[in-house]
Amino acid sequence: MKLRLPRPAFPYSAPTTPRGVEPLPGEPRWGQAYDTDWARRTPARYVRFFIVEGPMRAVVRALASPARRGADRLDAVRGPVIFAANHHSHVDTPLLLTSIPDRWRHRTVVAAAADYFFTNRYTSAASALAMSAFPIERKTVSRRSADQAARLIAEGWSLLIFPEGGRSPDGWGQGHRGGAAYLSSRTGAPVVPVHLEGTGRIFAKGDKRPRPGSTTVTFGAPLAPEPGESSTRFAARIETAVAALADEARTDWWSARHRAHAGRSPALTGPETTSWRRVWALGDRRSRRARQARRRWPELG
Amino acid sequence: MKALVFERSLPRFAAAKVAGALAPGRGAGPGPLRLTELDPPERPGWRRVRPRLSGICGSDLSTIDGTSSRYFEPIVSFPFVPGHEVVGDLDDGTRVVVEPVLHCAIRGIDPACAACAAGLTNRCERVAFGHLEPGLQTGFCEDTGGGWSTAMVAHDLQLHAVPDDFTDEMAVMVEPTACAVHAAAAVGEGDVVVLGAGTIGLCVIAALGDRSVVAAAKHPVQRDLAEDLGATVCAPSEIEGVVRRRTRSMLIGDQLTGGAAAVVDCIGTADSIQQALHLVAPGGTVYVVGMPSTVSLDLTGLWHREVDIRGVYAYTHAEFERAFAVVRERRLDRLVSATYPLHRWRDAIRHAAEAGRRGAVKVAFDLRDEKERERT
Amino acid sequence: MAHRPGFVLEVDRSTPPTLFHHGEGFRLERLPAGSRVIYPSEALAPLKDPDAAIRHALLNPVGSDPLPALLKPGMKLTIAFDDVSLPLPKMRRPDVRQRVIEAVLDLAAEAGVDDVHLIAALALHRRMTEAELRHAVGDRVYDAFAPRGLLYNHDAEDPDNLAFLGETDQGEEVEINKRAAESDLLVYVNINLVSMDGGWKSTATGLASYRSLRHHHNVKTMRHSRSFMDQHRSELHSSNWRMGEVLRKSGVKVFQIETTLNNDTFPKPFDFLQKREWDWTARDRASFIAVSKTLERTPSRLKRSIFQSIEAPHQMTGVNAGEVEAVHAITTAKVFEQQLVPVDGQTDVLTMGLPYICPYNVHSAMNPILVMCLGLGYFFNLYRGKPLVREGGVLIMSHPTPWEFHPVHHPSYIDFFEQVLADTTDPIEIEKTYEKSFAEDEWYRHLYRTSYAYHGVHPFYMWYWGAHALQHLGGVIVVGGDPKAVRRLGFKPASTLRDALEMATDVVGRDPSITHLHNPPLLVADVT
Repeated sequence: MKLRLPRPAFPYSAPTTPRGVEPLPGEPRWGQAYDTDWARRTPARYVRFFIVEGPMRAVVRALASPARRGADRLDAVRGPVIFAANHHSHVDTPLLLTSIPDRWRHRTVVAAAADYFFTNRYTSAASALAMSAFPIERKTVSRRSADQAARLIAEGWSLLIFPEGGRSPDGWGQGHRGGAAYLSSRTGAPVVPVHLEGTGRIFAKGDKRPRPGSTTVTFGAPLAPEPGESSTRFAARIETAVAALADEARTDWWSARHRAHAGRSPALTGPETTSWRRVWALGDRRSRRARQARRRWPELG
Repeated sequence: MKALVFERSLPRFAAAKVAGALAPGRGAGPGPLRLTELDPPERPGWRRVRPRLSGICGSDLSTIDGTSSRYFEPIVSFPFVPGHEVVGDLDDGTRVVVEPVLHCAIRGIDPACAACAAGLTNRCERVAFGHLEPGLQTGFCEDTGGGWSTAMVAHDLQLHAVPDDFTDEMAVMVEPTACAVHAAAAVGEGDVVVLGAGTIGLCVIAALGDRSVVAAAKHPVQRDLAEDLGATVCAPSEIEGVVRRRTRSMLIGDQLTGGAAAVVDCIGTADSIQQALHLVAPGGTVYVVGMPSTVSLDLTGLWHREVDIRGVYAYTHAEFERAFAVVRERRLDRLVSATYPLHRWRDAIRHAAEAGRRGAVKVAFDLRDEKERERT
Repeated sequence: MAHRPGFVLEVDRSTPPTLFHHGEGFRLERLPAGSRVIYPSEALAPLKDPDAAIRHALLNPVGSDPLPALLKPGMKLTIAFDDVSLPLPKMRRPDVRQRVIEAVLDLAAEAGVDDVHLIAALALHRRMTEAELRHAVGDRVYDAFAPRGLLYNHDAEDPDNLAFLGETDQGEEVEINKRAAESDLLVYVNINLVSMDGGWKSTATGLASYRSLRHHHNVKTMRHSRSFMDQHRSELHSSNWRMGEVLRKSGVKVFQIETTLNNDTFPKPFDFLQKREWDWTARDRASFIAVSKTLERTPSRLKRSIFQSIEAPHQMTGVNAGEVEAVHAITTAKVFEQQLVPVDGQTDVLTMGLPYICPYNVHSAMNPILVMCLGLGYFFNLYRGKPLVREGGVLIMSHPTPWEFHPVHHPSYIDFFEQVLADTTDPIEIEKTYEKSFAEDEWYRHLYRTSYAYHGVHPFYMWYWGAHALQHLGGVIVVGGDPKAVRRLGFKPASTLRDALEMATDVVGRDPSITHLHNPPLLVADVT
């Protein structure tokens, strides 16, 4: 049996449009146009504080058991920054929001895809309140979202952005788009490269439900655009920095520095082929195979 | 005559045991020891000895506190007058020290047992037989009387004339020193550790002469005396470190890998014997000189390290003779810290039981001024 | 806050009581009118961007080519760094060593250097634990090097890994860590908390063997080091510099990096400790009362763990790199800029409050021997020119001096205290009779090499540190110490400062001049 709530009649609900009448082209209210200012005012910030430090932190700990590294590299940084991270999973945003050093944690906004998080009144409000998200296009930085991001940075908000433009479809990273680099050049806020390791195993694109795993969040040294550097080149540099962090998280700092200086950090985007080798090279980075029961006896050879 | 008598009385034994458990020496109060008038012992062919000084020994104290083993029951005879460290006068005025062991020859057993025949009278197999009541020594035998009285009897073989240059204090130290001489004779080559620096401990250090000795002493007076007698002295808690360094040992857990070739335990408690087993080198020997009782020990180390554990009791006649020289050379009369008249026996025993803590070593009864003594 | 230099205050009736450190606690004492109190300078302003300063120092060294020019692919690079004894208290993360080592390694990675070892230059100190190494060099470096056995503690008793390099013109044997000696470049990362640290002492002491160390860690050298803080009048340093010459001649190439810290020593709520008493705000007074009342009721174990977990907010004031002696000269000047306080004339009685920590009890217990070493070895020697206290004067120090030893860290100290000091306190006699047997003891050697114990000979060195003071002073009085332990040290116990001053008059006469060393934060008295 389907329960139907009685729909209140006009004027308690919106009027219906009579047939044959062309409605006025109204202002779009969701998506790109959603106004998130309310979510950055004090009451909403208090609510968010309790959401982030309470349930979000608990869920992240249970699901992702994160190890957080490299925050000391940010010791000397003051003022707003742009966190640029790789993106594999829905866990990434909560994981980052709970991992960002105290100084920025509760003054950070998340650039979230307008076409995914801001599709209607409820998702928009939830995204804005819980994640402090604001809408941004995936493909190109529209003037409107760029202006808004720049304004927020100028107001002292830090920005969390996934320059890959979306979650990885296959476990490998995607090429960085220029948003973070552009905003950094425009506002002067440094870019902090961040690498998230292991979230792909937890809740990757296409997964039905999350599966607990362990993750590593690695913060890199802040980057600033060099004089005369184009956004594209700067974006490439950010991508390299994230790749070096990935290398560091998977091996160790020293070997990673070695390869980084030699320009041999393994690329985040994987081998340039579409064959089976691309999946093969991924190893168990995306494997969702159930963790094996702990052995009761050691291997005796 | 006046004498302290130890009687067989089960309720009093029990009371002594309870009181003795509270604090050492307390057994004297309710226990089976009491001061009384007694007929002086007489024995044809034996000599009367009128004690001058009579020491209080550790074994006496454990008897009083009811902590000594039931092992002793068949080799003592009740009621007895304690006191086996005796210097006294014969009726002809000669000063003598009594060698208290009551062996075959004294008991009129002929032929003597194998041990006595070999001269090892301290190991006599017949201490409960012959024409005397059972008793391993004078001071535990009903027939002979003991030093804690104004008169006792002794066999000729027990008497050692005291040289003229000997004070009574020196003479009373001869018996305990003889024990030490016997122990020192038993100790083999190598480093020696002495645990405990009461009378016996200090006498052992003295008897060991020039050998390198490490001693564990608890109380300051004991430390000073032991140091003066030539030992390297430390607190019982430090002994492990000292022995480890001197023997260049390592530690595995809390067990020394090496250790001293000989450890002389002059305390006789479970703790001290266990510590001795920790300190002794593999293949070495622990000498138990202080009288033990029933103890509980972990002997795994003894098994694994092939350690010998050996009892050391009393002395032979020759060793007793030698003790005189040791007492004289090492001036052991200084160990006599306090003397008491017989009627203050409770104080005396309390003092002896707390000797170390109260800065004393040997406590003795002084019978020289007893009025009874002059009665013949 | 602008930094005010150190100065000497004359006590009068308006002077508030003076703070004395007293182990894991404090005392407020009223010094007699006319006494002097030497206050340290306030903390110097730190470098704004330490990482940039480090990079600048590496690229623009003094008396040496820039570091990148010294790094070649295929070379052997060794980075040695100061151990857990520096800085005091340990500093907040990131430690200076981490910053410097990461900068050096980053340049090495850029140059394609593969063969790198990192060595904690701890001489005869105890080995550093994993947590301590992580704190010093940071997790990134630790995780990259330690699992592969490339980050480790120096072992002064490992015959296979020591290299004998020759003798100085005075016959002092020079033997240091083999890997360091055979590297194409040895980078030494210093923390110069006091002017004694650094220079050739880093390599010639920190990476040396016992065989080499005994040539300058002995009574004769220590007695002729007046003071250790003044390199030019310190025989200890002369000997190390002679050894440095041997190192240089035998081809050991050292790239020295020296860092200086300001004396911002105590974090909240202990920051009142580095304020002058009359500057204490209501909040400072409240925290003093709260802290001291709480400490009175705290069991000593807990108290120790509270104090040992203090992390100083030290910040870097300078970093210099390049040739050892040139770098050290600049560093020393910077250290003195922070620490030097001019003092006019000596005193009859010197008082000092000894804190809970000295270089040898980090994460550990301050035993009586370390109390002696901190008072007579370190604080007494915090002078340049003449000792603060005149010859035959009296030193009064305040410390609880518990008869207590850390069984893991200080095993040989226990035996030293209970056996050696029970026999004699004369350094010469101690050196002659006992040093060898402790130094060559297999068990101590085993503990030093495999556990976390100071070397068997280390308590002797502690005693030698104080040898000059023992010779110079007419008496030492410990206020508030365990009387038994104090007497074992050969000092006199007193229960209050007033009693101690009364006792001191027996030695120095009526109405002595009294000076209090208000320390730490550290200061060096420039006595004229």
